[in-house]
Formats: sequence, C-alpha cells, structure tokens
Amino acid sequence: MECILWPCFVYSIKMKKYLLIVLTSLLWACGSNGTGTTEIPTPIEDGKDRKPILTHLADQVIIPSYADFKVKFDAMQQQSDVFSSQPTQANLTSFRSAWVEAYVAWQKVELFDFGPAEKQTIRNFFNIYPASENGILANISDPNANLEVPASYAQQGFPALDYLINGVGKTDAEILAFYTNPTEGVKRLAYIKRLTTRMNTLLTKVITEWNTTYRDTFISKTGLDISSSTSLMINGFVLHYERFIRSGKFGIPSGAMLNGVPSPEKVEAYYKKDISLLLAKTAHQAYVDFFNGKAVKTGAEGPSIKTYLNALKAQDSASGKNLSDIINAQFEASKVKIDALKPSLYEEVKNNNSAMIAVYNEMQKATRLLKVDMTSAMSITITYTDNDGD
Amino acid sequence: MMEISQYLKKTISPAPLAVFRICFGLMLLGSLLRFWAKGWIESLYIKPIYFFNYYGFEWIKPWGEYTYVLFVICILSAFLVAIGLFYRIASISLFLSFTYIELIDKSTYLNHYYFISLLCFLLIFLPAHTYFSIDAYRNKSLRAILIPQWNIDTIKFMMAILYFYAGLAKINSDWLLHAQPLSIWLPARNDMPIIGFLFNFSWVPYLFSWFGCLYDLSIPFLLWNQKTRPWAYLAVIVFHLLTALLFPIGMFPHIMMVAALIFFSVQFHEKILAKLTCLWKLPISKDSSSSVYNPPAYVSKLLGLFFVFQLLFPFRYLAYPGELFWTEEGYRFSWRVMLMEKAGYAQFTVKDTSGQQLVVNNTLHLSTLQEKMMSTQPDMILQYAHYLRDYYAKMGFKSPQVYVDSYVALNGRLGQALINPNTDLAKEQDTFLHKTWILPFHDTIKGF
Repeated sequence: MECILWPCFVYSIKMKKYLLIVLTSLLWACGSNGTGTTEIPTPIEDGKDRKPILTHLADQVIIPSYADFKVKFDAMQQQSDVFSSQPTQANLTSFRSAWVEAYVAWQKVELFDFGPAEKQTIRNFFNIYPASENGILANISDPNANLEVPASYAQQGFPALDYLINGVGKTDAEILAFYTNPTEGVKRLAYIKRLTTRMNTLLTKVITEWNTTYRDTFISKTGLDISSSTSLMINGFVLHYERFIRSGKFGIPSGAMLNGVPSPEKVEAYYKKDISLLLAKTAHQAYVDFFNGKAVKTGAEGPSIKTYLNALKAQDSASGKNLSDIINAQFEASKVKIDALKPSLYEEVKNNNSAMIAVYNEMQKATRLLKVDMTSAMSITITYTDNDGD
Repeated sequence: MMEISQYLKKTISPAPLAVFRICFGLMLLGSLLRFWAKGWIESLYIKPIYFFNYYGFEWIKPWGEYTYVLFVICILSAFLVAIGLFYRIASISLFLSFTYIELIDKSTYLNHYYFISLLCFLLIFLPAHTYFSIDAYRNKSLRAILIPQWNIDTIKFMMAILYFYAGLAKINSDWLLHAQPLSIWLPARNDMPIIGFLFNFSWVPYLFSWFGCLYDLSIPFLLWNQKTRPWAYLAVIVFHLLTALLFPIGMFPHIMMVAALIFFSVQFHEKILAKLTCLWKLPISKDSSSSVYNPPAYVSKLLGLFFVFQLLFPFRYLAYPGELFWTEEGYRFSWRVMLMEKAGYAQFTVKDTSGQQLVVNNTLHLSTLQEKMMSTQPDMILQYAHYLRDYYAKMGFKSPQVYVDSYVALNGRLGQALINPNTDLAKEQDTFLHKTWILPFHDTIKGF
C-alpha cells in the first residue's frame, strides 16, 4: 500500500488543493459564457468560427455547382450517345455544343480539389491537357487499355473528347469520315462512349459522396490540423490557382515558366481553339466567387474565406487595408488582363504572347497573396508535413 | 572569490541527479521511439536528396539506410543512461549520436533538440551514476552519498537559461504590443472543446503573450525558491500542458515538466527513489558507503566555460545589422521559441551565358519540410542555390547563375521580397558575415 505509482503524488494533498483551485477557476471562466448574460460575443468575433463557413460553402456553392455540372454533363453524355448511334453532321454539332457547355460548367467545379474529388483524383481524369493523340489512337485499338494509370490521364476527359470531335480531321467531313469508316469507325465511337461512361462513373462517385456522408464530415472537421476540412480546402484551393489557373492556362502555353519558349499547342481546348479564353474566364470567376462565398443559386455572398480573413483582422499593417480586399483587387487586376485577350488563346500565344505573359504576371502576384499571406494569416501550413515545431 | 570556492565545496545528496538521469533517459527513449514510429527517420533523414548542413559541420553526412543504426545506438544509450549501466560510455555515446542526428539537416532544427543535446553534454561530466544505478550497484567504489551541489545546479542553471532567455526574447513589440504570432495561432484552435471559444476574443492572445513572457522570465527564480516552488511547479504543469494542447510541439512540454522536478528538495527525490525501490522490488545494497564524490578538477573549469558560452552566444545577433526576425542572422541556438509566424515562397531561376534558362521545381529537390524551412531562411536559400548551381552545371549549364524570386510574410505583415532578385546567388559565399543580399525589412520590431 505504500507504493504509489507516480512520484508527483508525494505532494498529492497539496497538489490536489492547487489543482482544484485551477480547475474551478477554469470552469468558472468557461461557464461564464452563455449563462445568464446575453450581451456577450459580438458578430465580428463569431466570424472566426469555421463551421458556418464550411456549411455555407458546402450547401450553397460546392453541392449546387456539382448539381449544375451534372445537368450539363448528362446532356453531353446524351448527345454523345446520339452521335455514337448516328455519326451525322447535325449530331456532331449538337455533341460539340453540349461538350462546350459541360466543359464550361466543369470549370466551376474543378477548383473543389479536396474531399471526394481529391479522393477520386477526378481532375486528373477530366482535364489533363494537351491530349495525347497517340495514346488515344492506341486505346481505340485496344478496348481494354488501362485508363486508371497516370500515363492515361492525357488520353481521357474533356481534352481527349476535344481531340475526338474537333481534332481528328481538318474539316467536319473528315471528322465524320473518321467515325463512318467501315472498319475502324465502330471502335472509335466505342472509345467516345467508354470515355463519357468513365467520366460519369467518377463524377457520380464524387457527387454521391458529397450528397451522402461527406457533407457532414466536411462541416464537422472544423480544426486546422492536417486532416481538417479548412486545411484540405485551402491547400487544394491555393494549389488550384497556382498550378491549374496560373500555370496550366497561361504560364505553360506562354512559356513564362520555362525557357521563355511559347507552346501554343499546350492551351486548354486546343482543337476547338475559340473557347480557351471562355474556359479560363469561367474558371477565374468561379475561383473569385468561391473566395467571396457567392451562393450559386442566389448570387448572394455568405460566410467565406473572405469573411474569415476579415474576422481574423488580416490586414496590411502598413496601409491598414484588409487582406481580403487586397486579394480581391489582385483578382480584379488579373481579370482586367484576361478580358483584354481574344477568344483563342492559341492565337494569342502565337501573335500576342506579351498579353498572355501579362496575365501570368498578375496571377503570380495573386498566387503569392494566396499562398503566403492568406495561409499565414489563417495559420494554415501549405504543403503539409507532419512534424513537430517549437 | 571566497564565496565561489565556498559554494564549490558545498555538497548534497545525489538523489535529485539520479532521478533526473532516470527520467531524462526514459523521456529521451520515448521521444526517439515516437520519432521512429511516426516514420520520421525515413522521411527526414533517408528520403531527402539534399541535406542542409550547418556551417562548419559540412563533414556530417547522412547515413542513408544506416540511419536506423544511428537511432539504435542513440536509443540504447538513452536506455543505459536511464538505468545507469556503463554510464560514462553511454552518456558520451548518447551525446554524440543525438547531436550527430541533429546536425544532419538544418531544416529539422528545433530549440528543444538543441536543449537536449546540451543536457546530454552536461551529463557526460556529472556523477549521475553514483547513486541508484546499476553501475553503483555493481561497483561499490563508485557509490557516493554526497556530491558537489554545483553538479546539480548546472542542470538547474541550464534550464534557467532556457526559460529566462526565452522570456527575454519575448520582450519585443510584436509579442507584447501586437500579440503576434499568438493572434494568428490561437484563433486556429477556436474549435477546441470547452476553452476553444475563448480564442475568438482578440484580447485572449494578449493575455497569453503577457503571461507567457512573465512565466518564462520568472519561473526559474520561482522554482529555485523553496517557498514558491510548489506553486511554480503547478504553473509549469499548467503552462506546458496548455502548450501541448494548443501547438504541435511533440515531446518538449513533457520533457520540461519532468526536468523541472530537479528543482525539488533532496527529500522529495529520496521519496521517489524509495517508491521505485518498493514498487519494482529493487535489490538494495545495504552496504551504503559514506564517500563524497569529487569531480576531476577540469570539470568545473570546463563547465564554467560552457556557461560563459551559453550566456553570450544568444546575443551574437547584436553583431548583425537588420531585423533579426527577418534576416535570422544569429537566430538559432538562442532560445527564440514560438516567436514567428513566417511563411514564404521561393522560386529559383537558373540561367547561363548560352541563354539556357529554367524555373526550378523545388519539389524535385527538396522535401516539403525542407522547402518550407528554406523559403524563409536566407542561409538555407543560399545553400540551396549552391546546390542548384552544382546540379545544373552537371546538367549541362555553363557556369550557371542562380536567382531567386522570394516572398515572405512575417507575423501578420503583408509579404515582401526577402532576397535581392538581382543577386546571382551562385557567386555569393556563405560566411558568418552579414548577408548584403538580404533586402531590408519594411518595418521595425522593437525589443530584444
């Protein structure tokens, strides 16, 4: 009985007394919130709670955006099936316009690269460009080609469809001939069907998970640790701007990133050409709207990254300006440069590349604000590693 | 002088040192096993392609797969120190192996690892094995019932330096007047149960900042003083438990809570040892000696020098112009703990005279942790630039030039460029002199 497990307990009686005092005062401090008095927290302080933000973004932005995209996607898949059964000029035209609408709607969900989308790595299967022509042609001859491996990314999704409906011939007649070919036509149409079916499967998985379990998981993981919703969301969000909007749409085709050598063939929707600017504009606007928490249905702004930064009083200490205003101003500066471009970014890279590089440079400034200033103000570590600090 | 020589002659029971040896050895053992279990040996010391050496320690090389052997040596040494077996050799090998590991890569630098290295160094020279150890059980001539009091005080003094200097470093305008970086870090924990809501109030980080500063400055004195000690120790528990709950700082709070027991009385430690004996039914040699341990004469001189160094070295930053938090010249090894929320972005361009040029993808060369650390610390930016210079020279660039586009945000300020983008870093040398290619900081942080 003399043996007590831990030496601290030598002082046990004294210690107990002190602990009691501390615990009581802590409890008193905690208990004083919400009991009796009604004039406690001000609305500004509430803005620091992440649950309302996550809830608003899930319910008013992410889930409705996916629903909108699904409608456009289904329409495209339907037109694709019609075209597969009857590869005529009229059906090609309707397939193309449905493809454009779906591709535009995709730009409004591609940025949600966290949660189910990250789990399915849907982006890799939907929008890696430039498309691999040789890979696509090889897959047409081999209906069992593996479409799950990284090497297959550029052989599927919207860029592959772009090639298949806009790039396999110089004229519509040549394109139609590609599919009406007596020996190969059926296989080629089957590949289109395989691609749209696969896209549908992946998209359905992502949407189903958001609509069932993930929405609640998303809004309940309110911490800022490595697996929290906010951390995953912000990491995906920042990465998306840097890698897929700044680099993918402008930096790489313009050559601003490598050797200064322009690569016009690396623009998005290279075969369709005249929608590349529309896609970029849509993606950029969706990005800005997400930052500001703009509800998809009503267009009204709600709790968002912007309101969170404001609640944290993230400011430039020199000018007293809100960081969120500075970021929005930089988005606007990028937008002005984007709006100055002509519809085909392919042509812009070839003839007006300095305007492309100007967009890249503005976006570079926004990238720094997002990646360094915003994450630092939010105490979120970008490029997460699990380690101790001091 | 009389007083000093009087003090050096004072003796005390070795019980506190024995308890410290056991606790410290076991805590270190636990830390190392935790490190291993988390897979950090692999991710921090084996996987990276490049390692950031410390200036003057370029000869320290990673051991690749054999890093596990290094850890086994370290773990075994910690265990031997804890039980007091082959103590002298074990304490030397513990110091050497632990310090070697820490010197492999600057990006893993943590103040508390440095602290552990220093304690290991002290233990080499202290008679922590003369009491309640296997060595003493096996070898009667080792046993002592009295050791010089200053032997125990060195540990207390080292802890006092850590706390007091950490407190001094907090006396600056960012910490006290703007409650930075706690104003950024605490709201991040506002979803914690019970106390989380407190972090939504903007006065709470101020309270924490001021309390933290006063705690660090006063705790060594309060622990040293017998009357205030129980309260002070309670404060140690509350403070470190809170930091353990709030921040990802691993074993450090636990090590400090246990290490602070050294301040307690001989009776306290005797009781602990008596409990341990009783609990584990340890065999006790009744043949208690009455000898007094006399350390070799060089030890007091050596440790005297050690402490002079410890007291002065953290102030080396005064020799550099510019803002310490910005340049980090003289920042490490100075007990500057949790003072900065610093995030950065560094994009390197490599060029040569033949017109070749490319923007470096850092993830091809650095781990995520290394990239994060490098992007805010000028000396690491330079080391990495030199690595890139050599790498691209092999890749066919003719005497490559290396430029960096850097952007760093410090304690809630808007980011600004850290390094002069027009400096060819390939040509700059790493020295202890001020780095003139660090751009000036557009603000003033007053204080220590």
